Amino acid sequence: MSTNTYEARKAKALAMGGPEKLARRRQTGILNARERIDRLFDQGSFIESGLFGASLADPDKSAGDGKIAGFGRIDGRDAAAVANDFTVMGASSAATNGRKIGHVKRVATSRGMPIVFLGESSGARMPDHMGSRGMGALLGNDPTQYVRMREVPWASATLGLSYGSSSWYSVLSDFNVIRKGAVLAVSSAQLASLAIKENVDPEEMGGWQVHAEVTGFADAVAETDEEAIDLIRTFLSYLPSHYREAPPVCAVPAGSGGGMADIAKLLPEKRTQVYDVRRIIRAIVDTDSFFELKARFGKVISTGLARLGGRTVGVLANNPLFRGGAMDTDACEKAASFLVLCDSFNIPVVLLVDTPGFLIGIDAERRRAPGKIMTFMQALQLCTVPKLSVILRKTYGQAYLNMGGGRNSDEVAAWPSAEVSFMDPTYAVKIVHGLAPGDPHFDEAFAQMNKDSEPWDIAAMFAVQSIIQPHETRDYLIRMLDVHRQRLSNGVGQHLMGAWPTSF
Amino acid sequence: MANYEVKTEVSGSVWKIVTEVGQKIEPGETLMIIESMKMEIPVICEQGGAVQKFLVEETMPVNEGQTVAVLSK
Repeated sequence: MSTNTYEARKAKALAMGGPEKLARRRQTGILNARERIDRLFDQGSFIESGLFGASLADPDKSAGDGKIAGFGRIDGRDAAAVANDFTVMGASSAATNGRKIGHVKRVATSRGMPIVFLGESSGARMPDHMGSRGMGALLGNDPTQYVRMREVPWASATLGLSYGSSSWYSVLSDFNVIRKGAVLAVSSAQLASLAIKENVDPEEMGGWQVHAEVTGFADAVAETDEEAIDLIRTFLSYLPSHYREAPPVCAVPAGSGGGMADIAKLLPEKRTQVYDVRRIIRAIVDTDSFFELKARFGKVISTGLARLGGRTVGVLANNPLFRGGAMDTDACEKAASFLVLCDSFNIPVVLLVDTPGFLIGIDAERRRAPGKIMTFMQALQLCTVPKLSVILRKTYGQAYLNMGGGRNSDEVAAWPSAEVSFMDPTYAVKIVHGLAPGDPHFDEAFAQMNKDSEPWDIAAMFAVQSIIQPHETRDYLIRMLDVHRQRLSNGVGQHLMGAWPTSF
Repeated sequence: MANYEVKTEVSGSVWKIVTEVGQKIEPGETLMIIESMKMEIPVICEQGGAVQKFLVEETMPVNEGQTVAVLSK
């Protein structure tokens, strides 16, 4: 083969779906697949696997067979990626690109590096998959295709119309960011309209609001492709390259802990008033290190990755700003999936506690609240990374256990403002004494219940190990995380939830 | 100027309406406070705008997802 032939074929492969299609994308401000790869990886670090891959049925029109695969570095660490090239046959799934994805997944898993999926695909390629011959030859043929054992982190971005495999890989991932205007769904709105005989709007079916607020499949939302890909880089910066190592340690930013002197002011004096726990989280963790996940889903719990003293932690906090912090079924799912993430990648968990309990009632039961509460509880008890709980204010009943009380954390600390009981004192006075506000003796009984809920008795029994002043919280957590560092396993947990389903 | 509805995320009773018809409020500002689960839970208006009308009164019970006000933006 002459050099000319090589250069010509290479140029054709790099040209993707051709100049017209690429120009149309550029006009709309959307990156093409190779620009996305360039944005993801450190400059010049990408090495491609499968540049000359194509569909033998139509080699001239199938550059790369519509999916670009390879390896590069993100902040100096190796990672694998698959970028769907929508300009080539809608990045539809086919024989060659299926092999490319399989190869990248096998290499990343066996060599220990994260995988990034940049999603935008139309689904299975037609007519290749049609008929029994197409199905027999193409679909599946890989019994491990959708297995997640969480040996390496998976991160994905939904960057356009994503149906079929793009959707599957997004919901299988540990982190998924959706760009506004993109759609994540089982199949196209056109096909859905045919199936259910009514017009289906793509964004209403699978747009960013659906997945950020209703399904919880989106961990983050981005305005642009660039922002989405940058969020993947940020997410991976908190994680180890694989499950057998501890997360990377960073320098502590200047000013970290500067807000601790005034942290008590962030907690309202009146016990019935709400506040945004994220302000407390941001004051405690290293400056600008709180990376919130699923901010618009299950908002009564706030979850996110952060750093304390330069080390990655997962923060799971009740957020009284929403529903007073009463945990609903979405919050239980969010908490469980977050605990699975932290445990799988050796990230210690900090729980900040202020909740009146679980949201109860007819609707909650129909949403399978008992099952969801236990799923959350099982995840917490199977979690083998260090867990530290800090009770800021209320903790009642079963929620006390779900948030780490009753030996479900390695250490439980309480602020002096903590209230620990089986239920809110107002309800307790009604149930124990049959008194309601305004009744004779209600005030005395209520005062006694309140006093009994103070944290001193539980600390005296050593069911709470420490009572700390709010301004001591950051130093306490950093020091206690160091105490609980898993020295015998080099900071690596047991990963009992490695095979936990990615949606449940 | 388009009207839009603001809904409560919790069931409870309207404890205090802290804005007035005609008032312009900023995104993230509290419109009213619902008493639920012995907590004062704000109904926050994420988009901001001008209050056109309230559909509830103080002490009135409300259900999750119920429209409590109409704003224009």
